[in-house]
Amino acid sequence: MKWYSTLRLLAIIILTLVTGWPLFGQIAQERIYVGEKACRTCHHLAGRRDQFNPWRLSKHAKAYAALSKPEAKQIAELSGVDVDPYKSPICLGCHTTAYNVEAWERDESFHFEDGVQCELCHGPGSAYMDAKVMLNRKKARQAGLKMPVERDCMVCHKEKGSHMAVLDVKKFNYKEGLEEIAHPGNGDLTKEFLFQVQRILSKWFPKNEPPVKPLPGPKYVGAQVCGKCHGQTSAGHQYSKWRYSKHAQAYAILNTERAAKIAREMGVSGTPQKSDKCLKCHTTGAGEPAGRFTDSFDPDQGVQCESCHGPGSEYMTESVMLDPVASVESGLRDVDKKSCVKCHTEGIHGHTLDFETMWPRIDHSKWQQKYSEVKYKSPFNLAVTKDGKRLFVACEASNSLIVVSTKTEKILAEVKIGTQPHFVYFSPDETRAYVSNRGSDNVSVIDTKTYRVLETITVGDEPHEMATNKEGTILYVANAGTYDVSVVDIEKGEEIKRLAASRGPWGMARSPDGRYIYVTNNLPRLGEFRTPPMSEVTVIETNRSIVKHRYTVPGANLIQGIDIAPSGKFALVTLIRTKNLVPMTRNIQGWIMTNGIGILWQDGRVDQLLLDEVNDFFADPTDVVFSKYGRYAFVSGGGVQEIAMIDIKKMKRILTNATEEKRNKVLPNHLSLSTEYILKRIKVGQSPRGMAVSPDNKYLYVADGLDDAISVIDIKKRARVNVIDLGGPKKITQARYGERIFHSAEYTFARQFSCHSCHPDGGVDGITYDIEPDGLGFNPVDNRTLRGVNDTAPFKWTGKNPTLRRQCGPRLAAFFTRIDPFTSEQSEALERYIVTIPRPPNRNQKSQGLTPAQRRGKRIFEREYDNSGNQMPQEKRCIYCHRPPYYTDRELADVGTASWLDTHATFDVPHLKNIYATAPYLHDGRAKSLEEIWTIYNPTDTHGQTNDLTKDQLNDLIEYLKIL
Amino acid sequence: MYRIFIILATFISLVPQAWCQSDTTVTLAGEPYVYTKWESFTRESTHGGLINDHIFWLEADGDSLWIGTEGGLVLYENGTWKSWTEKDGLPWNVVMGIAKDPKTGDLWLALFGEGIARFSGGYFEHFTQVNSGLLNDVVYGVDIQGDNVWVATTAGISRYNQVSGEWTVFNEKYAPMKEVWTYNVDAAEDKVYFAVWGGGILEWDVATESWKVYLDPDGQMEIDLYRDDGLVHDITTAASYIDGVLWAATYFGLSRYDGRNWRGYMDHDSGLPSNFINLVAGRSKNSAYNCTDKGLGVLVDYETDTWVAYQRDTEDAKTWTAHVMVGKQEIKTVPTNLHLPNHFTTSVEFMGDDVWIGTGHGLARGIGKGYYTGLRDKSPTFGVSRSSASQNNNFRKK
Repeated sequence: MKWYSTLRLLAIIILTLVTGWPLFGQIAQERIYVGEKACRTCHHLAGRRDQFNPWRLSKHAKAYAALSKPEAKQIAELSGVDVDPYKSPICLGCHTTAYNVEAWERDESFHFEDGVQCELCHGPGSAYMDAKVMLNRKKARQAGLKMPVERDCMVCHKEKGSHMAVLDVKKFNYKEGLEEIAHPGNGDLTKEFLFQVQRILSKWFPKNEPPVKPLPGPKYVGAQVCGKCHGQTSAGHQYSKWRYSKHAQAYAILNTERAAKIAREMGVSGTPQKSDKCLKCHTTGAGEPAGRFTDSFDPDQGVQCESCHGPGSEYMTESVMLDPVASVESGLRDVDKKSCVKCHTEGIHGHTLDFETMWPRIDHSKWQQKYSEVKYKSPFNLAVTKDGKRLFVACEASNSLIVVSTKTEKILAEVKIGTQPHFVYFSPDETRAYVSNRGSDNVSVIDTKTYRVLETITVGDEPHEMATNKEGTILYVANAGTYDVSVVDIEKGEEIKRLAASRGPWGMARSPDGRYIYVTNNLPRLGEFRTPPMSEVTVIETNRSIVKHRYTVPGANLIQGIDIAPSGKFALVTLIRTKNLVPMTRNIQGWIMTNGIGILWQDGRVDQLLLDEVNDFFADPTDVVFSKYGRYAFVSGGGVQEIAMIDIKKMKRILTNATEEKRNKVLPNHLSLSTEYILKRIKVGQSPRGMAVSPDNKYLYVADGLDDAISVIDIKKRARVNVIDLGGPKKITQARYGERIFHSAEYTFARQFSCHSCHPDGGVDGITYDIEPDGLGFNPVDNRTLRGVNDTAPFKWTGKNPTLRRQCGPRLAAFFTRIDPFTSEQSEALERYIVTIPRPPNRNQKSQGLTPAQRRGKRIFEREYDNSGNQMPQEKRCIYCHRPPYYTDRELADVGTASWLDTHATFDVPHLKNIYATAPYLHDGRAKSLEEIWTIYNPTDTHGQTNDLTKDQLNDLIEYLKIL
Repeated sequence: MYRIFIILATFISLVPQAWCQSDTTVTLAGEPYVYTKWESFTRESTHGGLINDHIFWLEADGDSLWIGTEGGLVLYENGTWKSWTEKDGLPWNVVMGIAKDPKTGDLWLALFGEGIARFSGGYFEHFTQVNSGLLNDVVYGVDIQGDNVWVATTAGISRYNQVSGEWTVFNEKYAPMKEVWTYNVDAAEDKVYFAVWGGGILEWDVATESWKVYLDPDGQMEIDLYRDDGLVHDITTAASYIDGVLWAATYFGLSRYDGRNWRGYMDHDSGLPSNFINLVAGRSKNSAYNCTDKGLGVLVDYETDTWVAYQRDTEDAKTWTAHVMVGKQEIKTVPTNLHLPNHFTTSVEFMGDDVWIGTGHGLARGIGKGYYTGLRDKSPTFGVSRSSASQNNNFRKK
């Protein structure tokens, strides 16, 4: 038995070694970013191994500091980044190192402030930094050392529209760039070199030497310590300003040939970086004894804060610094010309300091001044009080609620609330106004008398319209981002549950008897490939707050506005009927988009009628309201600057007189009927949106979104009789002009559609289009978001268009709009607006960091080995094409998804920012979910190697993708 | 050596039973409620209203009943039948489990082989392993806890958060599962239980978000060495948690766990018609309804080990008979009008005082007129020798 057992044990060991060995290999050691200082240990040696100095003198070392420059703010705005650049993951992705890793993956010695450091290009260094590993190139590579190639550099250096516009930089030339940052030093592994390493290591980690005894009195702490308080969060950005100055390079510059020449002229022998004479003015605290420095001090940082302000150990604490007397008593020195001339002596190195000129250059008290921003109001929706005296207007651009007197037209109050207020709704007793803030995912509760914000209730993502139950105890909120409805207990001020809507719940209305809440859905349901859109109106029963019914509205999308007839017998919704299955070139026949209303009957029946006329369409119907007794309905035409006044009696007659077949098949597409039930199309201001009828049924108020005004329509006269100014800026900026173009159908044949029709709020309509004039159904393409796309060029799925201007240029007119192309002025304005459409925050990112599943998913996204332990080819790894910070290499790739309908096999690698919000996926939208990209459409691992993944691993990967 | 130990232990465990059988007599401590009046429904008797006779799940919804069958979803409401099949948008006809979300009112369906579906406002939304984070399409059960939908699949457990949209996987990597084939899920406010085929019972603590596993301590597949030492067997089929008591069904008997003590039940020592239990539903901490392959075994009163077993006594029996028992000992039989042709019971559900059972051929509703819990204090004496293996001291020994 014994020999048998031994043999079995041996067999197990052998089997484990044979089959398990590769698996062991795939378990990569956790790699930590150690920061440039650790690299400097060996790479700042005299002779051929000095990479520190060239790096420190390069733009890479200043890349983070550059984010505090005023220009950075401008660039950020053109990139759809609406936070400070030094806080934006997108900006940080190319301006510093290791931004997209968790805190534990950065060593204490690592500092973002060091900008683009060694490890951005060469990979996190913890596993290869050991000299024994580094001296063996193969081992070092296995431990994560990367030697970047051109495509690695181009991830950041590829031309970006935003940077070109502001900095006027020339196109990046890889070879020239390489020369500029050249930091050669792969010298032979000589004994001399090893000796130097040993010497430095022994200096850093002395053996049996007593620690340096601190001397009494103030000590030098180093610029990094000052930067903790004087960094990006301070008004002056002093640290970045210093880092951007020559002072910060003063030490590194001693390594240049010019410095060596000057040194020789000054009688300095040897390298200037070792010369006390040079160091005296090229670094801080030179000549001081070791006990005069704290451990945090780094002499290689050049002329630091304490050169001028004195050693900081005694005044560095906030309490001392905030006390002018105490700080001076503790050693903080005021700086004037005298401080400078200690080093900047007359004629030094052939220069004499022109103090008056130089002083402003290093002034670090007011570097980043906010350039003036023009803030418009952009009213989106409004509500009128029961007495008809006040209008409450939700203003999206100014993040405010404006209250206006209808009589005096004066602004009674402007209340600052959340981000992007969208809708306003009164409690039944009208003591409260609820305002949904779609940018901050909450509802502001406002006292209608005092105009004070009483509380803020957190709801789902992107809340849009709201309604209460009849009693006013429950508030329903349509969350366009999470595709659900928040049910809020008003007394408790908290959400009690969520009800699943369809996709992009938008509008909301309560039935007159209070029994039901109707919710429109902006996006169609995810349907099968190349099928017409099917949209939904969700009905909630208020008694139990449950979903009671779901109307299906065939052939329609962008269902936004809704109102219910006072009789309660039917509801009207606004809709667009998009003909996405035929080439868009057919718009002359009205085959791209028709615009209309849906009529939802109590018995579940759905009718559709168009508001268009054959030669004059009614683009972008946005909101609908009934007159007090339901005789008329008004629909705002966001793209045509008009309000359609519908005679309900005539409208119903047309429906009831029609045969069943006609109602189902003919009327929804009939372009010649609208004049029979539309009494008048009333002109209003730019981009009309929400509306409200005065309680006396005399007036219709319309929010003119891009005019910062309210149009007042006399219902009897059927005409705009007044305009109430909401006090927005009168200056029309280029971006605002572009915004108006974007939302207007004036630039389309017969005013059929606007840019907004396919890109509501700059996002997507969730539809796959047949754009090209290449035959029916060929080259279908999924719609792509415009939010923050500027720097993700090229555009189009085929990557044909290098700029947005070209994307929206003459070709657009030839194939889409079929009208005169945009003038150059219009084209520039449109582009200017598009690039400023902000990218919404990723709502899946949580402050507490990654979940375990997301952490596992990140490893899969970045993995180098498959589940069998085999090294994967680079092009099979997710991160090869989907590179941060945008998670695209902005190249074309063939991932095997071309179908027989496609004439190209390669497609633009899409960026993955907020990818969770842009279903469907793949170039033709055939994947209804992220999962389907790999479970169905990657059978042979052409779209990354994924077929070795288990289902739970795929889930992990997707959980990670959702937070990008 | 090991075999000798098992034989010895078995012998020792049987000695007291044999001793007890010698001269003990038992009586009913009280009268259990017996469902004698039933309404029986088959596809034939309902003229197709019940679209399929193979009943997999019953879910009460007020006075209405949702029925999961092999041929679609059925709603019995106000005496009428309404059904949904693939023609009506139901993604897959085989409905193994149903859970009604108490918050949203939506219905969640376990579709055997085709994932799960949300039935809301008359519209089915389909989630599969291909289009979502669902672990596997072979789904046995589904239940709701808070905002989470818990799904028992053949490859482990999936959790879908309806608010965040996040899918979480629990399989052998992320839960203490020695097997992953999950047969059943039962969610309460504080705990969620899973019956894992070969993996015992898994307990998810909602507050601490942590797992605990219950396994058969003796690890034996053929016998249960010590009856009350823990779960009777690792091959579990269902769990039911009520009043702080866990009822666990296996193919080898029933277990009850009150958080401190275990109690095992088998057909040779209790009123269980069979050890082969498809489903257990606790009605209280003292009462559990067991769907077995040989009828419905109802433990009416835990304290007195009083059972009522409903079954067809013979192959050609027209109606079912209720057997009132104490432990294994039959005290009396009561005829019922339940006339389903098959007593392979698969599902059970309570609707007020009524009880519904599903079988391999139709379903039936026991009318609970005058229903009471536990035992009624009326105890006609039955002079019957005690022959069961019951060890309960509450029996009146004569």
